[in-house]
Amino acid sequence: MSETKVSWMKRFWAVVRYEMLWNIRKKMFIGALIFAFIFATLNIALPAALGVSENPYFTVTFSVGSFVFVLFAIVTGAYCISGEYEKGTIIPLLTKPVSRTMVFLGKLFAIFIVILATYGVIYTYTIIGGLLVYGPQNSLHLVPLALLGDILSTFIWVGVVIVAGTISKNSLLAILTTLGLFVALLFGTSIVGQLSDNPGPLNYIPGSGASGTMNVMTGQNITISTVTINTFAATTTGTDSIGVNLIKATLYPDANVNFYYTDIQNLINPNSTEPPRLLYSESITLIAVRSAVFALLYTEILFVAALFVFKRWEISE
Amino acid sequence: MDYTIETQDLTKQYGNLVAVNKLNIKVQHNTIHGFLGPNGAGKSTTIKILIGLLKATSGSATVLGKKVQLDDADSRLRIGYMPELPRFPKHLKGAELLDIYGRMYGMNPVELKEQISKLIELVGLKGRENDLIGKYSKGMQQRIGIAQALLTNPELVILDEPSMGLDPVGMVEVRELIKAISKDGMTVLVSSHLLFEVEQICSHVTIINRGQALVSDTLENVSHKISGPVSIQVEIVNLNQKVISSLKELPFVKEITQKNATLNINLNTREEVREKISQTITSSGGIIVSMSMKGHGLEDIFLELIKSQGAKK
Ligand SMILES: Nc1ncnc2c1ncn2[C@@H]1O[C@H](COP(=O)(O)OP(=O)(O)OP(=O)(O)O)[C@@H](O)[C@H]1O
Ligand SMILES: [Mg+2]
Repeated sequence: MSETKVSWMKRFWAVVRYEMLWNIRKKMFIGALIFAFIFATLNIALPAALGVSENPYFTVTFSVGSFVFVLFAIVTGAYCISGEYEKGTIIPLLTKPVSRTMVFLGKLFAIFIVILATYGVIYTYTIIGGLLVYGPQNSLHLVPLALLGDILSTFIWVGVVIVAGTISKNSLLAILTTLGLFVALLFGTSIVGQLSDNPGPLNYIPGSGASGTMNVMTGQNITISTVTINTFAATTTGTDSIGVNLIKATLYPDANVNFYYTDIQNLINPNSTEPPRLLYSESITLIAVRSAVFALLYTEILFVAALFVFKRWEISE
Repeated sequence: MDYTIETQDLTKQYGNLVAVNKLNIKVQHNTIHGFLGPNGAGKSTTIKILIGLLKATSGSATVLGKKVQLDDADSRLRIGYMPELPRFPKHLKGAELLDIYGRMYGMNPVELKEQISKLIELVGLKGRENDLIGKYSKGMQQRIGIAQALLTNPELVILDEPSMGLDPVGMVEVRELIKAISKDGMTVLVSSHLLFEVEQICSHVTIINRGQALVSDTLENVSHKISGPVSIQVEIVNLNQKVISSLKELPFVKEITQKNATLNINLNTREEVREKISQTITSSGGIIVSMSMKGHGLEDIFLELIKSQGAKK
């Protein structure tokens, strides 16, 4: 056979198929799916158990949640390159007429499809759950924005776990690094967010970001002991909340989010009279766009770094 | 003349260890080229450089007219490769694996389907093609490994120890298969440490040890040029001590062993000396009833070469 031109796309799709079949046949994936459904069910049931009986914004303020982002990133991404190295399957793969860039992008695309499909199913479930438990739901046409946001949030972690894997050639180490970073950021940002009177820098770090209150109170109030939270107004600025913030910004583009400094004493002591001090206000549109841009930026940097390392791998076993 | 594979001073170092040391090999078109060497000789390392998995420390290699590089997908369109002890994704079925790999070569689905059933049959996996590879035995994985190397009827097939882990019947089948694909015009580079295997199927052979080619030529020339000294067996009536002692005085006789009426004479030459031996025996009073000569197989050459290289170091 002579050296015929074989299209890039044909080979790329073969890699996508290869990776998709792997992903959906992983036991880990099935486990993560079950976990995500339990989490979604709790989300539907818990406010109802706390006395909320109607909430037209339930679906559009739902997010699969930061832990689920990390979970699916690990399940789909942790083994996708370093795992092939560990198992030795990378040797037959990389000796086919597919370039490493093709393999890398094909795998990422497969992960994208798998996560899109998974979150799609979860959102369908929460729409049905929302309709059944909280009555008619508003703005359901905006759910795709939530889906998009959640995928962006997840892909930061996909980037983290793949970078860690390509550098270390060790999937377990990649998972631990990712979980470690997640937990560190989770605690780090919430402590800084609580104690600091300048939570602004949190806007630029992956994670929950700064917490504020939007000046639109269309949601439902949920009171847990002394603290009342409005399900719509409560806003976090970080890359974990891109979807919800994009929806809020679409619904109320001119709304502002106020950030307060709350002394820790106030939270502990219900009789405290000191009012929270307003630190600053920001437009919800700015918050949503900024977090989306930063998520894209992080993801891109991480993927470029991973590809750079992967292209230089020597496969000797 | 153009070669299918040609290396120039190919060298690969792992830290201080020189796995491949200024290796020069040439593989001609449409030949079956055996790549022989003991464990750790550098066969797999060389092959991994040829297929683009490893980067040479120095020197270069040309495969199918193109300089080998680390990540050159297009040149692999024309090469089929079976890794040493290949491992394939456990979650895929045998036929699925071949289908996906085939699409990576850009094969069209109809042609691919036909080819897959042909290959499954050829490597003896019929009836098991829809089982998960995770459930395959070692030998079955080896067989699917051979099948995937032949998917596109490539111009060049590189097989790294294809018979490892196969049962005796499987080994014979693989040898037949390699001969058959060579008839179809493919060039085959097959590594092995089993000499009889190479002797049976290869037209050319390169023997490598400690990363260096000891010899690289046609099988015939290799046997001729460097095969070690031969031995002669003579059956003698009236065999006495005088016969033996006068034989021992001959300069080309290395060693004599006796078994009943038969002498086994090891020579240190390949020259024709039967006449002189026969004369010596007769003049000492012995009567020759039969005489035969044994040339040494590749096996002995191989051991000899490796030993002599070891002695030099
Ligand atoms: N990844 C590696 N790191 C360090 N040394 C290596 C590595 N891979 C191989 N080597 C060394 O390189 C040398 C050649 O190994 P190679 O695998 O090429 O041998 P081989 O001829 O294929 O042997 P075998 O018949 O056992 O397969 C050996 O000494 C081996 O220890
Ligand atoms: Mg080897």
